[in-house]
Amino acid sequence: MMSIQIINLIKRILIFSVFLIIGYTLLLFLFGSVLKPKHLPNLVYKVGHNYLRLQEVRQTSNVDLLFLGSSHAYRGFDTRIFRVSNYKAFNLGSSSQTPIQTLILIDRYLKKLNPKLVVFEVNPMVFASDGVESGLDLIVSDNNDRHSLKMVFNQKNIKLYNTYLYTLVNSIFNDTAYVKNKAYKKGGYVAKLKPAYFNGEEQDKTLITFNENQIKSFETILRRLNKNGINYILVQAPVTSLKYNSYSNIKAFNSLMASYGDYYNYNEVLNLNDTIDFYDSHHLNQTGVNIFNKAFINFLDNNFQDLKE
Amino acid sequence: MLFNSIDFVIFIPIVFLIYWLLNSHLRAQNLFVAISSYVFYGWWDYRFLFLIFFSTVVDFYIAKNMQKYRGPKVRKLLLVCSLFTNLGLLGVFKYYNFFVENFNQAFTFLGYHVNGSSLNIVLPVGISFYTFQTLSYTIDVYRSKLQPTPNFVSFAAFVSFFPQLVAGPIERATNLLPQFYKSRKFEYTNAVDGLRQILWGLFKKMVIADNCALYADMIFNNSESYSGSTLALGAVFFAFQIYGDFSGYSDIAIGTSRLFGFNLMQNFAFPYFSRDVAEFWRRWHISLSTWFRDYLYIPLGGSRYHKVRNVFVIFLVSGFWHGANWTFIIWGAINALYFIPLLLAKRNRVNTSIVAENKRLPSPKELFNIITTFSLVTIAWVFFRAESISHALIFIRDMFSLDLLSLPVYSIRKLIYPIVVLLAFFVVVEWFGRKDKYAIENLLKNKFTPIRWAFYTLIIFLIGMYMQTEETPFIYFQF
Repeated sequence: MMSIQIINLIKRILIFSVFLIIGYTLLLFLFGSVLKPKHLPNLVYKVGHNYLRLQEVRQTSNVDLLFLGSSHAYRGFDTRIFRVSNYKAFNLGSSSQTPIQTLILIDRYLKKLNPKLVVFEVNPMVFASDGVESGLDLIVSDNNDRHSLKMVFNQKNIKLYNTYLYTLVNSIFNDTAYVKNKAYKKGGYVAKLKPAYFNGEEQDKTLITFNENQIKSFETILRRLNKNGINYILVQAPVTSLKYNSYSNIKAFNSLMASYGDYYNYNEVLNLNDTIDFYDSHHLNQTGVNIFNKAFINFLDNNFQDLKE
Repeated sequence: MLFNSIDFVIFIPIVFLIYWLLNSHLRAQNLFVAISSYVFYGWWDYRFLFLIFFSTVVDFYIAKNMQKYRGPKVRKLLLVCSLFTNLGLLGVFKYYNFFVENFNQAFTFLGYHVNGSSLNIVLPVGISFYTFQTLSYTIDVYRSKLQPTPNFVSFAAFVSFFPQLVAGPIERATNLLPQFYKSRKFEYTNAVDGLRQILWGLFKKMVIADNCALYADMIFNNSESYSGSTLALGAVFFAFQIYGDFSGYSDIAIGTSRLFGFNLMQNFAFPYFSRDVAEFWRRWHISLSTWFRDYLYIPLGGSRYHKVRNVFVIFLVSGFWHGANWTFIIWGAINALYFIPLLLAKRNRVNTSIVAENKRLPSPKELFNIITTFSLVTIAWVFFRAESISHALIFIRDMFSLDLLSLPVYSIRKLIYPIVVLLAFFVVVEWFGRKDKYAIENLLKNKFTPIRWAFYTLIIFLIGMYMQTEETPFIYFQF
């Protein structure tokens, strides 16, 4: 039998836990309101272009193309170029977006966007990522629901717990944030405002270790797209040859992606120049984006004639 | 299993509840402690469980036979067997490569080519701690200070007791083993006190030590590119890192033991408020210092004869205990050099009371002595942290360059504001709690409950806000 003293201790701990949750939340709000973000390492509350993108997505419906993925997507597919070629496109990419967050986004917005084709940008690093950075971006930029709560609990990271709690309280007092971001363009693309070029720095060899949770989420996304009768293609956007060749098991990654459906690896299709077409080791500058998007539109015109509005 | 892990958060309430459900069955409860301890240890690497079990069996039977065979020669032989087994295991797992490499270098220096090959050995976590704990048992039985236990389960639980298995405090058999003989009574106040101590230990480890580690690593790993003042800052960060890390572990260990009705010895008594190095060594890693005092210093002659030699031996062995590297031995030697003048001048027991007792603040003289002692200790820590002796020497040379009086470099300065504020908070709390066994033992004790709870909430909040997102192991696990 458990002694009365132990039961008293458990009761006391439970009461303290209630006190703790309230006190912790208040302190979180207080510190978040008073201190600079750089002084609060486990709390992220600075919103950026993803906030604008998610504001815009709520006003958007029935697109021809929907881009999903990381910064390679939102900095690689310029929706303005697609608009000129008569494709109504929306770029739902976000910083370091991993399949865990992509799944949440399609659960929220796929029906409304109702795309004719989903272009899923896949790059090796997001499959190796724990998804915390992207999770934080999503929590601070979008309205939180049971999907984000589930993500927070699954990812077991104190930054996510703090940020989720803070965002929840903050939304009670301050529902909208004022964000000014010149780089963000209508349709979800983020441009590099000043010309910039990669310096040609050697890249360390990287072995891609696939995160099981990312693979599972990725498979769920594809199943969900199939279930909704939405066509998709998998695309790897170009990175510098130095970066691409630094992945020691890129062939395994390519084979894996090809096993999931139509896979187009533009690192092996286009011949871009590392120091002219990129602003860093893995992001295209506007010159590179123009070349890439032109090639991609060509590909769409030839293979998906019924997409245009 | 790490104390600062989710696994432990799940493990501890389960073990706690089952343990107290078994309260009326002492044998079953002790068996459960032993099993839980093996699970706790095996979580890290189950292959090394056999080492603990082997040490346990050997020392249990050696002690039993010491009682059976009363002849002094046989008893001595049994003691030698125990020392040989335990120190032999330690020697193989911890020091083998060190000796091989040094023999190779020494023979090469003399012009001979010897090719003793080193082994790829994994150091079993906590081997230095539990080896010393079991040794204390056989030595005390040999000295007839302790009756050998007839109960194997109690002895196995004593050797493997999970809160202090991997990083101490190194308990004496005379203190801990008898606690396994009698039934434990759950005491509410003791348990609450234990939880409070765990909380403070977690704060020390997860906030102070882990954050200081970030900057200490940054500075030590690139020491050639920093100014003297930045290097000094790095050394100070390391001083707080090692204190927060190790004393934090001890607090969690002692606090956890209290939840199960056990009392472990105090391992740290606010060492950075010491007024001289002798006082520092009475307050730092007390369980190891007193172990060496009782089982090495006194048998060597203590203060009666060859006291300078004995002190030197103790500090060198203590350094070597920490790791198979010359840097640790030099660290021990430097501390011996700090200590011996105090011993010779008979000033090694001048400061035995609590600093600024019954006063809010220290006197200028006390403050000067505290800062001087801290500085001396911190300089010695450079050897403890450095990769090699040459690294430490260059670090210290560069630290005492002209730019020691300049501001630390901007790239470091701009990052450290939060940790500086946290350190200030930490030092203030430790100062006001210096009379107690741990800083927050009696802090706000007589205040209205919500005020006390608000303080604990603040500590938990600071942990949540400043902890590292990756689990970081305790430094002393490597020893």
